[in-house]
Amino acid sequence: MINRISDPDGPKIIVCCGSGGVGKTTLSAAIGLYGALSGKKTIVLTIDPARRLADSLGLKDFNVDAQRVPLEQLSDIPRPFEGQLYAMMLDAKRTFDNLIFRHAPADLTKNIFKNRYYQHLSNNMAGSHEYMAMEKLYEIYHQDKYDLIVLDTPPSRRALDFLEAPGKLLNLLGHNFFLKMFRPYLHAGRLGMRVFNILAYPVLRAVGKVIGKQVLEDLAGFMQLWNDVLFEGFSRRAETVKTLLSGNMTLFLAIATPQHLPMTEAVFLYEKLSRNNMPFGGFIINRVHVLENQELFDTDRHGMAEFFNKKSIDDRLAEKLGITFNNYMKMSESDAHAINDLINKIGSNVDILQIPVAEGEIAHLNDLVRLSRMF
Amino acid sequence: MAGDNTDGLYHKERTGSLRQPADLWAKQLFSRRLIFVMGKGGVGKTTISVALGKAAARDKKKVLLLEIGDTGTIGNIFNKKVLPEVPLKLSSNIWGARVNPKAELAAYTNAYVNSGFIANRIVKSRLFDYLAEATPGLKEVMSLGCIWRWEKKKKEQLENAFDLIIVDAPATGHALSLLRLPDLLINMIRVGPLVAQIRRLQNLFKDHRKTCILLVTLAEELPVNEAMEFYCLAEDELHMPVAATFINCVYPVLFDKDEVRQIKRMKDQFEANLPNPHHVILETALRQINRRNIQQTYIDRIRAKTTGHVREIPFYFTNDLTLIHIEELL
Repeated sequence: MINRISDPDGPKIIVCCGSGGVGKTTLSAAIGLYGALSGKKTIVLTIDPARRLADSLGLKDFNVDAQRVPLEQLSDIPRPFEGQLYAMMLDAKRTFDNLIFRHAPADLTKNIFKNRYYQHLSNNMAGSHEYMAMEKLYEIYHQDKYDLIVLDTPPSRRALDFLEAPGKLLNLLGHNFFLKMFRPYLHAGRLGMRVFNILAYPVLRAVGKVIGKQVLEDLAGFMQLWNDVLFEGFSRRAETVKTLLSGNMTLFLAIATPQHLPMTEAVFLYEKLSRNNMPFGGFIINRVHVLENQELFDTDRHGMAEFFNKKSIDDRLAEKLGITFNNYMKMSESDAHAINDLINKIGSNVDILQIPVAEGEIAHLNDLVRLSRMF
Repeated sequence: MAGDNTDGLYHKERTGSLRQPADLWAKQLFSRRLIFVMGKGGVGKTTISVALGKAAARDKKKVLLLEIGDTGTIGNIFNKKVLPEVPLKLSSNIWGARVNPKAELAAYTNAYVNSGFIANRIVKSRLFDYLAEATPGLKEVMSLGCIWRWEKKKKEQLENAFDLIIVDAPATGHALSLLRLPDLLINMIRVGPLVAQIRRLQNLFKDHRKTCILLVTLAEELPVNEAMEFYCLAEDELHMPVAATFINCVYPVLFDKDEVRQIKRMKDQFEANLPNPHHVILETALRQINRRNIQQTYIDRIRAKTTGHVREIPFYFTNDLTLIHIEELL
């Protein structure tokens, strides 16, 4: 599955989905590196990398431009190679602000930034990060500067929020019903508009009573700005991105660790994508405690005890070594169990890639190279 | 865990157990009314929430576990489906319920709009959905309102009142906006019945004798970084300092320095002619030692930063903790 990335006719967009804490960002970086090492000009769009990963990717704080990853630092890769790797940090607030700057008339931008709905929406509202990721994807795809785009999706409990949130946000901001409702009460002028007479309408009056008139006025103001200035462009781009993500240029990967919740989310993603005929590339199960040569361990217990005794290791140490090993066995059995469950659910013809648990932390580019060799 | 002899070693590191009745800290904790269990996604908030609930129940408290959203993780632990909105008895002295912001907003609207006809029209209108989704924090404040309603029952000495409410909060980002909300909304809405209500909520939250925040983390880079930021935010912005931190999934310290040296020596010495399984055993031990050392650096960072209580929760080497395990955690 992932090895299709190195294929010159392979996918152009990789979307890494999964619940929080499964190592999505690290794996996205490794996938990007894999693409770069196979000769492609690759960019990784990432959300919130761990400090040390960001450092090793050369990402500087507060910089939202694409930054080149210094691959010349890599020690053990074949040279020369053609690929390049770029990384970019996504920032919801800034992406929104930039959109406004770019698409809204200058005299209106100030009003938009001042609107409390906008302030909240651009940074806090569920879906805004996902929406922003899509905007960025659209922008970069249409720049046509890269052979491969790897998108690390925002951490969400429901892995699929990423796909649904933008639509939800659009629905929410969809103009028709809301403006119809407010139009009679809006000033004709576009600038500095106020909502007049909202309280003349019984339903609105009641709503105003509950949540406050000010809130309604702000909302109406925002809707007006949104509708006049941004809506069309936003929805057009969202549509394009949706088409893009459904096509054969794209590959979705479900990333999980063997715990219950991440696995459930990954299966949920897989089923959803299958239902919608979207391109699914496979599962990556991260941090698996792999057990090699399993049959040896069952039979050689006694031999081992003897061996350690002969080397005059005291009983206590031998016992502790046994405990440590038992723990690992227990963990690997638990992981194997989780992966079997997954296979039972999805059948055996979907790709599942297992990434063994790392010994230390993945903090350096060379660690990412090691990781990318598993693809 | 069952059947092997690791127990003694796991527990060696621990500084006491909530099971001891004399545990002053636990007594203090469970004398609170409201506990928010916070932390990054995937660190084990639900597990810790349930463990706390179990410990409080042993301390004769009547406990309500509240879940925000519909992930169903609490229900799952108790072999139940997604929790209902009305408390469901889960085990002795423990009830569970789900917070459903929209239902709460509907109830609230019904209570505050005199005309039932209009209230109904509002609740059924798309505008209502809209407002619930788009109004900054309206959904969250309704979650808070629900929490507050359960809290109030005790004060009014109503039946089915709970001594302790444990909120299994959503991942830090969302949970933060939840707790920031009272301030934000008061500023935004300014006047009206909602504001008065929010003020009461705010007073409850900021009363340290009644409400506290517990943070769950793993001894890993990202969760610990987030914890570091959260300590500051909680203290300076929310004015709700973190009362205790639970570091989850801590590996046991099995070997002393001498033993580690011995293992390394053995591995070097016998690298070439060591039969495979023996080799793997030594390697596995060294890996776990390494892992534990890395964890220690993060544990130290937490301990250096927080003024609250810190408790290390041992790793159980399984993906599926059962209720029996969870009961033993605290």
